[in-house]
Amino acid sequence: MFALPTLVLYYTIRLISQLVKSMTPQRDALSETFAALADPTRRAILADLARGKKTVNELAEPFDLTLPAISKHLKVLERAQLIERSREAQYRPCSLHSEPLRDVDRWLEQYRKFFEESFDRLEEYLRHLKTKQGNER
Amino acid sequence: MTDTNPRVDTTDTELILTRIFDAPRKLVFAAYSSCEQIKNWYGSRSCLVVECTMDFRVGGFWHYCLRDPRKGEESWSKAVYQEIVEPELIAYSNAFADAEGNINETMPKTQSRVELSDVDGKTQLTLRVIFSSPSDLQQVLGMGIIPRTTEALDRLEQHLEALAAADA
Repeated sequence: MFALPTLVLYYTIRLISQLVKSMTPQRDALSETFAALADPTRRAILADLARGKKTVNELAEPFDLTLPAISKHLKVLERAQLIERSREAQYRPCSLHSEPLRDVDRWLEQYRKFFEESFDRLEEYLRHLKTKQGNER
Repeated sequence: MTDTNPRVDTTDTELILTRIFDAPRKLVFAAYSSCEQIKNWYGSRSCLVVECTMDFRVGGFWHYCLRDPRKGEESWSKAVYQEIVEPELIAYSNAFADAEGNINETMPKTQSRVELSDVDGKTQLTLRVIFSSPSDLQQVLGMGIIPRTTEALDRLEQHLEALAAADA
């Protein structure tokens, strides 16, 4: 008896939550990328990985940090999808994944486009104001 | 329209746009100075200012919402005016915020400067947008860690090597 309304309610809530999620994914992923990049150790790790795959031990070497501390940084980078960790070998070497960095670049490109289009609109608006002033005279 | 209009320059930390408007400086300056005016033009073609409160004086806030009706996305920002010189300069900091005006600290903040000058009876507007935080983002951008869309990954590698060398 109540199965159908319950199902309808369930799917409605699921649809709404998916819609809400679909509105903000880019911002969330970008926030994560920015947060991951906002640390000098993590940037240095990325710099290291740009030269090729490395193990956790190899990555830890140049820093005066414990292995758990390095692991913590790697987890942040992994969650932000800036690095990938191989499942093949037991020591799980890390490698750089640059896609989120490209997203940051696209985001900057949107900024530029935003202001350019804004100025196109300002141009039209000012023209409109001048015509209006002209007509009033 | 001349060849130099519009003009875009980008350094890694700064976005510079220059545009000449066929209108007096006073009019261009005024277009920035009230919600009533800014709602008529600020924002891209798809993203319009739908909410706006503004206290146009040094130390005053500009809290606004941009909405893309097709995608149903909206984005709140909060700006604080740092310098206002009529009719030649408006400088403000801008941050992502929510409807209540709470600032989103994880997203980059920007410093904007709108400079207006007279050029043969027209107005030249120079907009400088400087990405300033989270504190290290500027450094990230400056170091070129972020690949330009058209550049290959080996350029990124060079930058990262330089970064590693600088940190070492």
